Amino acid sequence: MNLKNGNRGFIRGLVHRPLTYRVLRPLLDLLTLREENQAFRIWIHFILEVTRKAYGRKGPVVWMNAFTPTEMVYGLGAVPFMPEIIASLVAYMGQSRRPIALADSRVSTDVCSFYRCALGLVLEGYLPKPDLILSTSYLCDGANKFFHDLSRIYGCPHLMLDPPYNDDPQGRRYMVGQIRDAAEEMTRILGLSWNHEALARALVLSNQARRYMVGINKLRRAAPSPFPGSEGLSYLAGMNFYSLGSSMGLTFYGYLHQELKRRVARNRGYLPQEVYRILWLHHIRPYYRNDIFDFLGRQKAAVSFEEPNYLYWPYLDPHKPWEALAEKILSNIWAGPLERRIRAIEQIVEDYGIDGVIHFSHWGCRQSCGGAGVIGDRLKDKGIPYIILPGDGADPDNYSPGQTRTRVQALVEMLG
Amino acid sequence: MSGSKEILKHLRAEELDPDGGPLIGWTCTYLPLEILEAGGLHPCRILPEPSSDGADAYLDPNFCPLVKTALGAALEGAYASLEGLVILNTCDGMRRLYDAWKHYCPPSFTFFLDLPRNITPRSLSYFRDTLENFKKTVEGHFHIRITRSDLVQALEESNEIRALFRRLLILKGRGDPPLSQGDILDVFFQGWRLPKRRFREALREMVDQLEKEPPRPSQGPKVVVTGSFLEGRAVIDLVEELGGDVAGSDLCTGGRLIQEVSPSSDPLAALSEAYLTRPPCARMQDMERRISFIMGEVQEKGARGVIFHALKFCDPYLYEAPALGEALRQIGIPFLFIEGDYRGRVSGGARTRVQAFLEMLEGYEP
Repeated sequence: MNLKNGNRGFIRGLVHRPLTYRVLRPLLDLLTLREENQAFRIWIHFILEVTRKAYGRKGPVVWMNAFTPTEMVYGLGAVPFMPEIIASLVAYMGQSRRPIALADSRVSTDVCSFYRCALGLVLEGYLPKPDLILSTSYLCDGANKFFHDLSRIYGCPHLMLDPPYNDDPQGRRYMVGQIRDAAEEMTRILGLSWNHEALARALVLSNQARRYMVGINKLRRAAPSPFPGSEGLSYLAGMNFYSLGSSMGLTFYGYLHQELKRRVARNRGYLPQEVYRILWLHHIRPYYRNDIFDFLGRQKAAVSFEEPNYLYWPYLDPHKPWEALAEKILSNIWAGPLERRIRAIEQIVEDYGIDGVIHFSHWGCRQSCGGAGVIGDRLKDKGIPYIILPGDGADPDNYSPGQTRTRVQALVEMLG
Repeated sequence: MSGSKEILKHLRAEELDPDGGPLIGWTCTYLPLEILEAGGLHPCRILPEPSSDGADAYLDPNFCPLVKTALGAALEGAYASLEGLVILNTCDGMRRLYDAWKHYCPPSFTFFLDLPRNITPRSLSYFRDTLENFKKTVEGHFHIRITRSDLVQALEESNEIRALFRRLLILKGRGDPPLSQGDILDVFFQGWRLPKRRFREALREMVDQLEKEPPRPSQGPKVVVTGSFLEGRAVIDLVEELGGDVAGSDLCTGGRLIQEVSPSSDPLAALSEAYLTRPPCARMQDMERRISFIMGEVQEKGARGVIFHALKFCDPYLYEAPALGEALRQIGIPFLFIEGDYRGRVSGGARTRVQAFLEMLEGYEP
């Protein structure tokens, strides 16, 4: 879509108005009236709600990256905002080309397109200004540098949690100390104070959501696969990053659990016919229009599970919130030794009866794709067909349908 | 050819002494080599020849070319003589290099050393404990004991080398000594390869010699070259060949820690503080500290411009470049960004851009 400058200014104005999100909610409810999966509608409500609060400044706005525990921000009564999730939504709506092109005037085209898309949105003034940026230095170098660069652009404070590589007593102590320091700084910067009951409540909500997640993941072991991987990689993964610690997050997981129970009880798979079960590795997929999942479906290959929905963290003790959040951060299988991630993948392969594995190799994602060779070797040793699928999650100009289809076809042939 | 050039030539040609202690490969200058040296081990930096590209089948195409080249060289047996390998948690590339190296061609000893990004009392204490753990693991594997006095001695020996480097760089600062900036980088390269005592003696001889040689007036516009990892000296030589004067450099393959380190009562704490607080590389969190360090270098060296060299796909440097460029332009210092692919040569495009940049600096008054 080509917009003139005037139109763009008008749209930017609409994006910034909290009323827009109030108006959008009944409209989107109407459009999704026939959607059986109520969780999908809750997700829409959630996104509209957090976005409305961020633009309406219903509390200090804290920008965060995926994997920074949102429980901290909900527990403080601030409003979380995740530019990575917004970038994927913009790509989903087919609008990522322009912000990516804008960002390319500032940063190399070799860095992650989600950050380039978010940067372009920042440069054009589409996003709500942060009062604070709270990020973790994992999973990637890009996250660390991108968020710090944003704090320079906005002139706002940046607190960075830097998880140690090893989850050992020394690392734990260091991580807990960093969280305590950041928590204290957050109150100073935002002019808020910690209400320990509210923080404990955020952890309780997160635990309750986690209990549903355990159930959802168990239900997803069923054959045929009750839930499409394309959705597991979009709104479900998005809610894992964005909603934990909020009451809407809990509602979402409750509805999704109910829905999957219903589907499994009826022996209802998401494909008309399922012959192969695929595991998708990497947290993202291409969000712009593409035919990867439809093509797999036509080959009777269901994406039965996706890596970002692997539940890696334990119950969070609400009486020891900083220790619990440190444990959550340090148990992340995508940080720390690759061996831990491989063990989790092997477990998923076993639990979900996986026939073949696709490692999506997102352009610019060194941390994940750098391990793809070793992961592949380990899976091939176990006789699991495996392909690396190069692509781009946010930039449609970096998507090659022919090459993608050839690779996916090769996997299907290996399965046959 | 001057005496100092002769010494450098001999250093380059010198073979590693097979009796110089077990060879331990390492990758990042945030590693306090003193710990290994105190144990009688011989640290030797992983600096692969630019021609190797054997790891394309093992690592992603959009991945650090240094890492791919290092892994390719390891797969071809170039590091077969290593008895150990220490990789630091520097960046995504190094994390994945560690995983792949350990998987495909593991040496008998591998250690992954964590490295904080922040500088706080907590991170200094954490890094100190991490170094202690590293020391104990080395002791256990090689059946050695590294005492406090071993560490103090290793630190004092390193301090002597640092003092010699400071003398060398002062010479560079007073004008253009017979050694070019490329030669100075070469001296650092030899220091990461040769046994410390042998290197110290050669460096002392070289600096003594250079101090006797008359300074030459500076030619061409002065620039500072900053960035990540240079494979050899091609970029520096190009700038000098095109008439520029590389008055200073701030590189992962240059000297970022040349200040004296006081051993104190706890040498590991002293090492932790010295290494974490040294002039930072782009992987550290505090971009402002790095920017102000480079601005200080520019002012101290009287440079008219900055050339920023990043390896392709090196996220820490790719993200930092725009902010540094902006900060420098605000004080009237032109900034040129070029990328390298670890092929040991400078592309035609980069050559043209460097040439245009130097021509622009010729007539430029900040």
